[in-house]
Amino acid sequence: MKALSELYNRIIQRVNINLREFNFDVEPFIHNLVPFDQLAKVHGFYAVTAQHPLDFQFRHSNLAGSYLLGKCRTTNSILYKSDIRGDELKKKGSIFHCDNFKIPLTKEEGIRIENSFLIKTLVHNYSHDPESPERFSISNTVSTHYANIHGSPTDGSFLGPFATVDLSTINDCVIGAFSYVQAGEINHFHIDPGTVWVRSPGDFNFLFRYPADILGRYIQFRPGSQPDGILIDFVNDHKNAFERIFETVNIKSSIAVPPNASLDRFAVVQPKLSIEDNVLVAQRSFLQNSHLGRGANAQENCFIINSFLKGFNVTAHGAKLINVDLEEMVFVGFNSFLRGNSCRLGIGRDCIIMPHTIIDIQESLLIPAGCLVWGSVTCQADLETNSIPLKTLEKLEDGFSRKNLVFEGNGKKFVSAFQNRIQHILEANGAFYNGKDHKGHAQKNQNISFNIIQPYSEGEKEGVYPTIIIRP
Amino acid sequence: MEKYSVEDLMVPLSEYATVSVGCTLRKAVQALEKAQEKFDHSMYKHRAILILNEDGEVIGKLSHLDALRALIPEHNGTYGTDELNRFGFSNSFIRKLHQHHRQQAIPLKQLCSNAGESKVEDYMCAPEENECIDYQSNLTTAIHQLVQENLRSLLVTRQGKITGILRLTDLFSAVYHTMASNPELS
Repeated sequence: MKALSELYNRIIQRVNINLREFNFDVEPFIHNLVPFDQLAKVHGFYAVTAQHPLDFQFRHSNLAGSYLLGKCRTTNSILYKSDIRGDELKKKGSIFHCDNFKIPLTKEEGIRIENSFLIKTLVHNYSHDPESPERFSISNTVSTHYANIHGSPTDGSFLGPFATVDLSTINDCVIGAFSYVQAGEINHFHIDPGTVWVRSPGDFNFLFRYPADILGRYIQFRPGSQPDGILIDFVNDHKNAFERIFETVNIKSSIAVPPNASLDRFAVVQPKLSIEDNVLVAQRSFLQNSHLGRGANAQENCFIINSFLKGFNVTAHGAKLINVDLEEMVFVGFNSFLRGNSCRLGIGRDCIIMPHTIIDIQESLLIPAGCLVWGSVTCQADLETNSIPLKTLEKLEDGFSRKNLVFEGNGKKFVSAFQNRIQHILEANGAFYNGKDHKGHAQKNQNISFNIIQPYSEGEKEGVYPTIIIRP
Repeated sequence: MEKYSVEDLMVPLSEYATVSVGCTLRKAVQALEKAQEKFDHSMYKHRAILILNEDGEVIGKLSHLDALRALIPEHNGTYGTDELNRFGFSNSFIRKLHQHHRQQAIPLKQLCSNAGESKVEDYMCAPEENECIDYQSNLTTAIHQLVQENLRSLLVTRQGKITGILRLTDLFSAVYHTMASNPELS
């Protein structure tokens, strides 16, 4: 495995060079995080659909357990159990709007991953950088367990477990565990673990950070150790269920799926699950004893257990719902962890649960309709501190602060930004499909074929995939 | 004045307020008061406390300002001004935020009581190269360093170890007396 070992060292060096101003050494964090023999054993797979461009190019890379869809190139990279989902990339001939610019695309947008090591990471959406509208680039970067690189070109950076970079451009940054960043362009930034930062310059700025003692219970990532905490334990407890679906070539759906809904064959379904029209269930999601109403979705790495989703709900990448009842149009942000422990959590209509929110309750709790919720909530008193009615927020023009949250700017613009985003997600997912118009992923992702690709199985190149170019 | 060195004007460590690492701010303040009582050859008061490690070496300095920082909420867990600036918050918003925190803050007496239990190492500043001066340096060098670095004192070193503190007030006194006694300058 000489070539794989050299590749690994080369990536570490590239990342460390970019992060040298922080004196940040990525190696102790990822040393032994993924066993090399595992990289050589597990196959990768790519999707073939009539709906998305088929344009893959893999050079000198390892793609163990990874899933690739759409136009995608990897060079000198290791992708371990990652999802590179290019079904929202910009189309040739479309117009990308940015500020007052209307940027025409002269070719299909593609994802390019170079000199990077992505571990169980999700790459999705499209480049929001107007300077590279046709290229969603991830280079010289290491990302760890359940990180999300969502519409964010990323260079020279390190992402801790459950970190999310969303609709931004990231250069030479360290993004701590369970941090969420949506802040336009950020350079040379070291973001502490558990930071939730949403900024639109001139409009609003939302900053929250978890107290270290609370965050530490849910996720910790120390050099030389595997990530640990409640979030990792929870995911690991359900790991076995995924092994079966990835080992089996042909797998039949165990439930009736409406013709305009999509249940990915790489999603785990356990009794009893019911799904209505226009529902989208993405790969690597886990569903058990739950109901997904019309137009609801479960994105990658979601867990929906003993829960009822009334309809038009967005359960964003990595969100977890256990013993939760959602009214219509509830948005649950990335990586949020919502758990009723032998009790129910009810969330009223139109609520926005901020990305990376933890609601972990021992007694039943009802969140009133139309609220924004953030941070850690364990009881009614926490909810009063860490939530605000959207109508109240909309009236704020300067900002406010509550404990570890500071918000500056126009509340109405903040609420609108989220509501527009939710609307866009529902549209993109096909939640409003009427049998004729408004097709989305739920309708387009139904007939996907998967092909397996494998690396050299011995010799110096063991674990490295040969150069593979796949086109129609 | 030319014949004097830094060592001639410095306050030796033995006469200065010192406490050990691990000590509370309350004990540090008491040590400052005590040292001031003993140190009677000047009308000027000490403005800092030096923090010593187990071997008696200076590892930090706690100024009046450092001690006062313990009373400000932003230094008790929430965001500091620098951090809010870094994350793109406007100066006017930060000022309002701090004002709001001050209005909601607990009474000063209670704050002082709470801060008194803090450890000195949480608020001290480690000595930096630009605030150290060799004991044999002349006073002109010391003046340049104080002015250039905008400091109120210099830590005097001998073979790498801090042996005393040269205070701005003592240096100014020496300069003032030279100025006043020189007829050409009057």
